[in-house]
Amino acid sequence: MRLRRMLAIWAAKITEKVSVHIFHRQGVTWAGKIALKICPSILKELAGQVKNDIFIVCGTNGKTTTNNMLCAAIEAEGYKVICNHTGSNMLNGVVAAFALGAGLGGNLKADYACIEIDEASTRRVFPHFKPDYMVLTNLFRDQLDRYGEIDITMNILKEVMQSAPAMKVIVNGDDALSAYLAMDSGNPYVTYGISEKVLDDKDSHEIREGRFCKCCGAPLHYNFYHYSQLGDYACTGCDFKRPEILFDGSEIEVGDQLAFTVEGRRIRANYKGFYNIYNILAAYTAVRSGGIPVEHFNDMLAKFNPENGRMEQFCIKDTKIVLNLAKNPAGFNQNISAVMQDETLKDIIIVINDNAQDGTDVSWLWDVDFDRFKEANVGSITVSGIRCHDMGLRMKYVDIPSMLEADVEKAICERVENGCGNLYVLVNYTALFSTRNVLKRLEENR
Amino acid sequence: METTDMKITIGHLYPDLLNLYGDRGNIACMMQRCIWRGIAADTIEFNTGDEIDFSKLDIVLLGGGSDREQAIVCRNLLEIQEQFKEYVENNGVVIAVCGGYQLLGKYYKTDAGMIEGLSLVDIYTEQEEGRLIDNIVLKSDLVDMPVVGFENHGGRTYLNGNQPFGKVLYGSGNDGKSGYEGVVYKNVIGTYLHGPLLPKNPQVCDYLIQKALERKYGPVQLGPLDDRQENAANEYIYRRFVKE
Repeated sequence: MRLRRMLAIWAAKITEKVSVHIFHRQGVTWAGKIALKICPSILKELAGQVKNDIFIVCGTNGKTTTNNMLCAAIEAEGYKVICNHTGSNMLNGVVAAFALGAGLGGNLKADYACIEIDEASTRRVFPHFKPDYMVLTNLFRDQLDRYGEIDITMNILKEVMQSAPAMKVIVNGDDALSAYLAMDSGNPYVTYGISEKVLDDKDSHEIREGRFCKCCGAPLHYNFYHYSQLGDYACTGCDFKRPEILFDGSEIEVGDQLAFTVEGRRIRANYKGFYNIYNILAAYTAVRSGGIPVEHFNDMLAKFNPENGRMEQFCIKDTKIVLNLAKNPAGFNQNISAVMQDETLKDIIIVINDNAQDGTDVSWLWDVDFDRFKEANVGSITVSGIRCHDMGLRMKYVDIPSMLEADVEKAICERVENGCGNLYVLVNYTALFSTRNVLKRLEENR
Repeated sequence: METTDMKITIGHLYPDLLNLYGDRGNIACMMQRCIWRGIAADTIEFNTGDEIDFSKLDIVLLGGGSDREQAIVCRNLLEIQEQFKEYVENNGVVIAVCGGYQLLGKYYKTDAGMIEGLSLVDIYTEQEEGRLIDNIVLKSDLVDMPVVGFENHGGRTYLNGNQPFGKVLYGSGNDGKSGYEGVVYKNVIGTYLHGPLLPKNPQVCDYLIQKALERKYGPVQLGPLDDRQENAANEYIYRRFVKE
C-alpha cells in the first residue's frame, strides 16, 4: 500500500516539476490525475494523516482568497498546512495538493489542511475524505451552462453536507441561500456576517438571487442589502430569517483600505473591496471555530499577498496596473465598486473568454451593471479576449464607447503607450492566467 | 407620421422571477434602438402579483427562469391568461425566451411535476434526459442575417405544426431532433436563444419594433442605424460555428 502511494507521490512530483512551468495550473491538475491513477486510495490515505482538522472552502465567490488567507492564518500560528494555493479545485487539484505536499517516503507531515473545492466537485471529493469544517462563502449565479441553475448547486451541497453529518458548516449568515442550506442540512453550523448597514444599496438594480424563501416560496423582506442578495432578511410567509450572527463584523471601514471589529478585535487589511471583508471574516471565523489562536491574524493580513490576479499590482513603464478577476455578475459588480473607490482618471481593459472553465455562455455580461463606469472617471475602455465583440456590444448598449483589441498583449501595450498611467485590467477565469503571464513578462522586460 | 412622434411601451413580465441569462440585455436593446431613432421608449416592470393592463403595452417580454421559479410564475400567469390571450390574438408583439418560451405553450412536463402553461400557442414542452447547452445558429425567414445565441434547456418543445422561428445551422434547437428552433405565431416569437438574443441580432430586434409600431400607427419605415459592432459580433459567432 505504502509503496504504491510512494510511487504515486513521486510520479506526481515529477509531473508537476516538468509541466508546471509550461502549462501552469494544468500541470498541477495532471500531477493529481496521475497520482490518483497509480494509487486510487491516495487521497483517502493522505487525508487521514492530517493531524488535526481539514477545512474546505466552497461558495461561488471568494474561495481562493478565503482559503489562502485561512491557510496563512493557521501557518502564522506555527502550524504546517496543506493547501491547494493555485486554486485547482476539482478532484485532481485536491489530490495534487496532498500528493505534492507529502514527503518522498509517502507520508504527510501536516497539522491542518485547507482545501478549496469547486461546488460541483464536492460530490467526487467527499467519498475520499470527510472534512471537519466547510466554509460556505456565498451562492451567486455563475456559469449557468456548467452548473445549471443555483438550485442544482444547492442540491449538490446539501447532499454532501448530509453525507458528512459531523462536519461543521461555517456560513455567511448574510446570504439567505447559504444560510438556508446550513440550517436545512442538519449539520452543526457557525455564522459570520455584518449586522450594521454599511452602504445604501436598496435602489441598486443589481440582480439579486433568492428573492423568495427557500422554505415556503414567499418573498423575503430585506431591512438592507450590503450587495447582491447579501443583507438582513426575513421571510414574509414563515419563520425563516437571517440567523443570529456569531462572528459579527462591526465598525466597517471600506475605502482605500479595509477595517472592521470582530470579538472586540480591530482587523485591518491593506486591500480594496467590500467583498474582502467577508473573505477575511470567513477565514477568521474558521480559525476561531477550529480552536486555533488568532494572535498573529493582523500580522498575517499585513503580509498577505495573494499574487494570483486578485487585485494584483504591476508597474510597466510608469503605468500602474491592477489585475483583478471578475467571473460572474456579483463578482464583477463588486469589482466595479472597488475600481470606483479610486477616484483618479483611469483606463480599463476588460478581457472576456468563453473557454470551458469560464463557462461557454457569456450572457451573464448583461447582468453586470456596467453603466456605473459612466461615473467612475474612466478615460477609456478597451474590450479584449475571445468574446471581445460581446463585451463591446455590452458597452455600446449603455452608451459607453470602447476600443476593440482581441489580443490581450496588444491591448495592454497600447494602453501603456498611450494611456493615462493608471490601468485596471478586469478578466474572467481563463483570461486571468494568460493576462497575468503577459503582465509579468512585460514587467520583467521593461 | 414621423417615427419621432411615436412611442413604444415594453412590458417586462416578472423580472423578479424570470431574470436569467441576461434578459435585461433584450430590454436595453429594444429601448436603445428606439431611442437612437428618436422613438420614445419606456419599459414597465411587472412583478408577481402586479396588475397588468395589456392595452397599454406594445411589446411584452417574458424571460427565462429556473424550473422552480417558473412554477411560481405559472400560478400568477393563469390569472392574466385571458387578457394575455386577447393581446396575442390582437397581434400584440411578444418575445418569449427560454423559460418564457416554454410558458407560452400548453404545459411543461418536468420530473417534479406538471407546470401548466398560458396556452397562447398550441405547443408543449417535456423534460427529457440531458440538457441541451451550447452556442446556436439559426436561419430564420423573418430576417436576412443568421440568428445567433446560446441555448441551455432541459425541456424539449414540440410545435404541433406551428411555424418555427428558424432552421438550426448549429446547435440543438427545440428538441434536438427536428432541426428547428423556436416558434412564430402571429406577432409572437418564442425561442430558446439567449446570450441575450437581441443585441447580436439587431434585425430580430428591429422586426419586433417594426411590428409593434405598425400595429399601433400603420405602415412605418425604420431608419437605419450604425450596426457595424452588432454585425461583427453576429458574424464572429456564425463564422466560428458554421462556416469553419
